[in-house]
Amino acid sequence: MSNETIALGIIFIFVIGATVVGMIPGMRKTMTLEEWAVGGRNFGRGLNWFILAGEIYTAFAFLGGSGWAYARGGPTFYILGYGALAYVVGYYLLPAISPIGRRHGLMTQPDLVEHLYESRWLGILTACVGVAFLLPYLQLQLTGLGLIIETCSYGVITRVPAMLMAFSLVAAFVYLSGLKGVAITAVIKDIVMIIAVVFFGLYLPIHFFGSVGGMFEAVDAAKPGFLALPGGTKNFDVSWVMSTLVLTSLGFYMWPHFAANSFSARNADVLRHNAVYLPLYQICLLFPMLIGFTALMIIVPALKTPDMAFMVIVQQTFPGWALGLVGGAGALACMIPAADLILSTSMLFTRNIFGRTVGKDTTPEFQAKFVRVVVLVLTAIALALAIYAPAMLVNLLLTGYSGVTQFFPMIVLGLFWKKATKVAAYSALIIGEALVFYLPLSGQDPLAIFGLNLNAGFVALVVNMAVFVTLSLLTSTAESEARKTKAIQG
Amino acid sequence: MNPVKVLLTLIPFIWTIGMIPFVNRVKPLVFGLPFLAFWLVAGIFVAFLCLSVVYRMDSKKRQDS
Repeated sequence: MSNETIALGIIFIFVIGATVVGMIPGMRKTMTLEEWAVGGRNFGRGLNWFILAGEIYTAFAFLGGSGWAYARGGPTFYILGYGALAYVVGYYLLPAISPIGRRHGLMTQPDLVEHLYESRWLGILTACVGVAFLLPYLQLQLTGLGLIIETCSYGVITRVPAMLMAFSLVAAFVYLSGLKGVAITAVIKDIVMIIAVVFFGLYLPIHFFGSVGGMFEAVDAAKPGFLALPGGTKNFDVSWVMSTLVLTSLGFYMWPHFAANSFSARNADVLRHNAVYLPLYQICLLFPMLIGFTALMIIVPALKTPDMAFMVIVQQTFPGWALGLVGGAGALACMIPAADLILSTSMLFTRNIFGRTVGKDTTPEFQAKFVRVVVLVLTAIALALAIYAPAMLVNLLLTGYSGVTQFFPMIVLGLFWKKATKVAAYSALIIGEALVFYLPLSGQDPLAIFGLNLNAGFVALVVNMAVFVTLSLLTSTAESEARKTKAIQG
Repeated sequence: MNPVKVLLTLIPFIWTIGMIPFVNRVKPLVFGLPFLAFWLVAGIFVAFLCLSVVYRMDSKKRQDS
């Protein structure tokens, strides 16, 4: 058999296999909204692990980790740092959210905000901001999938049909099985991903340089300083990495889909227990980087698209089965996180935008049906954007992480500080988001200030936090504190 | 909050973020990794160890009460 046939066969097996497995929970019975959106709040340690961990290995970890190493060098290592710190934050944050969700029937992040501040409109605003940052992230997964399947099938399947086929399958299993479908397909995805990245991440440096250390010695000899900060960049220096680590570790759990993931846990101990072990899972993020650095020394001529580094070096070194493995793992790395994003975005729209405005009088049974229709419409919109306007959302994407991190003061202080007020939440969120857009669009990311290069999202977060604390102190009253305490505890 | 818990929560942040100005170097390679990468990978284990201790303390407290 030719390389093309073998590679395509392997990709098909992975993609179809995961879809079938993902459909099973929803075929047994018709799910209620709570079962569909938050898994009936009944995920134990196993499913909770994969739903939380599964979001780490996305298209970015796979292609971006190796691409950054290839093009930027040392600054890439920040990826090793933020996850472990994010789980330290999550250890305290998720167990605080989960019981409130159970008591009050919360299913989404805007539900939580609405509950904490007793404000319908703050919930609607949070939902709109969330959708604005989730959509481009979803589109990134689609575009990544198109690139991966086109390359790994040796161009036999081009990107548009690849996206259409893969995302019809994603929509199908999200439609049927909801969060449970996402969780069990994440199990398959993570196993395949880990096998692929660990195998290639160790094999390639050893094959070409004798050992991982030999590979790094060679990179350091050829490009002195590339493996430290700022590496191959001008301004991703020590201060950039430090500010980016603060931003990404605090912002990690501010992605709206993570709220649903914590509401799905059976109890708070599941979340605490998994937060202890999840940092160890981050070690796997090292392997795509090893591939990127090896590619830097081996691939001639230099790549125009650094994100292709992983696939190009595998294609040059191995026969078809290997590219099939990379393609299958990569396709799942795009599909499963995308499934979680589609589910979460549909819920924000149905429950927190539609259900709080024109659809206020609809029943939960109606919303359970409506949200599934939104899944299909949303997938179609994301596909149309990815095919016809691939560059349109690029600014939103650049600011995605910074954008969701602006929820941090509102949600975290809202959960743990009784003086937090609604006025402060509105003002701080709006100012934070305004800065998140203004700074990068005016060419000030990173922001050069006091001789430092600070991540613009970090600057926005500092301003946001200062506004939040000041206004809360100014506007809180004995009555607002009493209501806040009740919202947190009751 | 218990001061030991506060300290255990802060250590991973100091290790991974606070120490970066002092560990931004390529040599010596440790376990084959550039020093900065080694330091950050070590930070993953530090976070794991600190959280393990906090988790033990929390479980014990819940059993007592």
